[in-house]
Amino acid sequence: MNALIAVILGALTVYLTYTRYARRIDRNVIQSDPKRATPATLYMDGVDFMPTNRNILFGYHFKSIAAAGPIVGAIVAATLWGWLPAMIWLIGGVAFMGWVSDYSAIVMSVRNEGHSLSAVAYRLVSPRTRTILFLFIFFYLLLVAGAFVGIMATVMESQPRTHLGMILLVVMGVLLGQMLYRWRIGLIPATLLTVGITLIAILMGHASEGFFQTLNQAFNSMTGGTPLVTYFDPTLANFKGAEAKIMPSLLFWAVAICLFCYAGSVLPIWRMAQPVVYVGFWITALAMLLGLGGAALGTITKPEVAQFQIAMFKGWNPQMGPAGIMPLWPMLFVTIACGAISGWHALFGSVGTARQIENEADMLPVGAGSMLAEFLLGMLALLAISVGSKGSPVAAFANGLGGFISVWGFPLDYAVSLAFAAFIVIVLVVTQLLFRVMRVTLTEWLGDIIPPLRNQHFSSLVSIALAILLVMTGTWIYLWQLFGAANQLMAALSLMLVTVWLASVGKNWVYAGIPMILMYITTVASVLVTAYNLYFNVCLPNLQAGRMLPAAGSGLMVLVAILLVLAAVFIGIDGFRAFFKYLGNPAPSARPAPVKG
Amino acid sequence: MPGSDARNRRRWQAIKDFIYGLTGYQFVHHARAMKHETETLFLLATLGDLVGLPIMPPVYSLRLLPHVVPEIAKWKRQLARQKEFWEKEEYDLHGV
Repeated sequence: MNALIAVILGALTVYLTYTRYARRIDRNVIQSDPKRATPATLYMDGVDFMPTNRNILFGYHFKSIAAAGPIVGAIVAATLWGWLPAMIWLIGGVAFMGWVSDYSAIVMSVRNEGHSLSAVAYRLVSPRTRTILFLFIFFYLLLVAGAFVGIMATVMESQPRTHLGMILLVVMGVLLGQMLYRWRIGLIPATLLTVGITLIAILMGHASEGFFQTLNQAFNSMTGGTPLVTYFDPTLANFKGAEAKIMPSLLFWAVAICLFCYAGSVLPIWRMAQPVVYVGFWITALAMLLGLGGAALGTITKPEVAQFQIAMFKGWNPQMGPAGIMPLWPMLFVTIACGAISGWHALFGSVGTARQIENEADMLPVGAGSMLAEFLLGMLALLAISVGSKGSPVAAFANGLGGFISVWGFPLDYAVSLAFAAFIVIVLVVTQLLFRVMRVTLTEWLGDIIPPLRNQHFSSLVSIALAILLVMTGTWIYLWQLFGAANQLMAALSLMLVTVWLASVGKNWVYAGIPMILMYITTVASVLVTAYNLYFNVCLPNLQAGRMLPAAGSGLMVLVAILLVLAAVFIGIDGFRAFFKYLGNPAPSARPAPVKG
Repeated sequence: MPGSDARNRRRWQAIKDFIYGLTGYQFVHHARAMKHETETLFLLATLGDLVGLPIMPPVYSLRLLPHVVPEIAKWKRQLARQKEFWEKEEYDLHGV
C-alpha cells in the first residue's frame, strides 16, 4: 500500500458519497427547495440570522469543525489496530453516517425555524432530554480538555524544538487581535506579519532546541533529578504498562499551558482566543496542504516517504496494560470520532451554520461537503502515521507528515519541525477554547446553586483543576476514548432527533435511523469497556500502590462513564417513545417554513 | 470563449469566497456581534420606552428616530428571541 492509492481512495469516497448517495437523499427524502424561505432570510437580525453565500459558509463551517479530532483519532487507532481497520472505518463512517449526521442536523434546524438541537429535542422528545444534553456537553468538554492537556504537556516536555514556535504563536495571536480590533490594520498585512513571524520561529525550532533543553535540565536539577510524582501508566512499554514519572520540567510546561488556557478563558475572545486560533489555523493549513500534496506526489518522486510502514492489521483485541482489553468493536468506532462522524458538528451546525443558510439548496454542499472535507483531513493523518513508524504515535505522525512535506524540497529537519508544530498548534488552540466553553457551561449549569461559579476566574480555575486531575491518571488514550464515546453518543442523539423529526413530518427515516441504532449500541458498549479498563488497569494498580491522585482521577473517569451510560439510556427511552408516537401520526406543528415572497 | 471565461470567473470567485469563509469571515462575524451590542445599548437609551424602559424624554427619542429606524426591526428580533446559553460565540470550538 502507498499514499497515492490511499489519496485516490479518499477522493473516490468523497465523489461517490456526494453524487450517488447524499444528493439522492437531498432530492428524494429531504426535497430541498431553493424557493422555500430559510430562517436566515425570514428572521435576519444581522448577527446570528444572516443569509450568507454558500462558498463562504462552506469555508466557515469547515474551519469550525475540522482540527484535532480527526488527526489524533487516526493516530491512536492506527497504532492500536493497524491502518486497514482505521481506513475502513473512516471511509465507511463518513459515507454512511458522518455526512448524514452533519447535513441532517442543519436540515432539521433550517426546517424548524433555526432552533438548536436542544430546542427541537425539548419540543419533539421530552424536556429532560435538553437537561441531559447539558450533562453531555460538560463531560464532553472535561474529557477532551483532560486528553489535550495530557498530550500537550508530554509532547512539549519531550520536544524542546516546539517551544519557541508556541511562545511566538501566543505573542503573535495577541498582537493580531490588537492590530485588527484596535489599530484597525487590514487583515492581509496583519496576517502576513504575524503568521510569517510564527512560521519563522517554528522553522527555527531545532536551532533553539539546545536552549530549552538546558532550561528543562535546570528545572529538573532543582529536585536533584528525582521525579515529583510517579504513577502507573498502562500505555507505556509497548502497552504492557510501566511506572511513569512527572519531572519538574513537565510540571513547568503543564503550568505554562494552564496559564495560557486561563488567559484564553477569561480575556475577551477577540483579545486572545480568536486571533490565536486564526494564526494557528494558517500554520496547520500550510502543513496539511503541503502534506496532502506531498503524499500524492511523493509516491512518484520520492517513493520511500510514501510507502506504508506500520502493520496493516495488528489484531482484534490488542492487549493494553496488565488487565486491559481493547476490542476492535466497539473501541475503534469511538477512537476515530470526528473524521468519520461527530456529535459536536451537529451541535455547532444547528446553532451556527443553519441560521446563515441563504437557500435550501446550500444545505448539502455546506453540511455534507464540510464533513467529507474533514474526512480527507483524517485520511491525511492516517497516511502520515502509516508511513512514519519511528517513535511515539505523535512522533511517528510528525515524521510521516514531515516526510510528505519534504517532497516539496524542504530539508527534512525543517519539515519535521513544521509537522510537530502543526500538531501542537491544533491541540493548543483548541484547548484554550475548551476551557472557555467549560467556564461558560459551568456558570450556566451550576451558577445558581453554587454562586461563586458565576465568577469567571473561579469557574475557569475549577475547570482547569478538574482537567488536571484527569491528566494525573497518566492515561490520555482512555481519556481520548471516553471523549470519543461522549462525542459519538452526541452524534447518536443528534441522529435520533433527526429520525424522530423525519417520522414526525412523515418522511423516510431509514437513512438516519440505521446509523443512529449502530452508533447508539456501539458507543454505549465502548463506554462500558473503557470504564472496565480504567478500573482494572489504572484505578486498582495505583490504589494498591498507595498512589491516591491517579486513583482518584481514574475513579472520577469511571464515574463520568457511568453517568454517560445512564444519560444515554434515558435519552434512548425518551427517543424511542417519541419515535413510535409520531410514526403513524405525524405532528401537525412540524410543518415547513412558509414560501418566500 | 466568453462562456468559459464566465465559468472561470465564477470558479475563481467561489475559491475566493471559500478562503474568505475559512479565514476572515470569523472576524467579520464577531465584529458584527460587537457592533450589535453597542447598538443595543444606544437603542435602549433612546427608544427604551418601546420595551418598557422609559430612559430618555420622548422628544429627544423622536429626534434620533430617523437615524435608528433601519436598525429597529433587527433590534426587536434580537430582543424577542430567547437565546440558549450554548448559542454564544464561545461555543464555536473551531474544530474539536
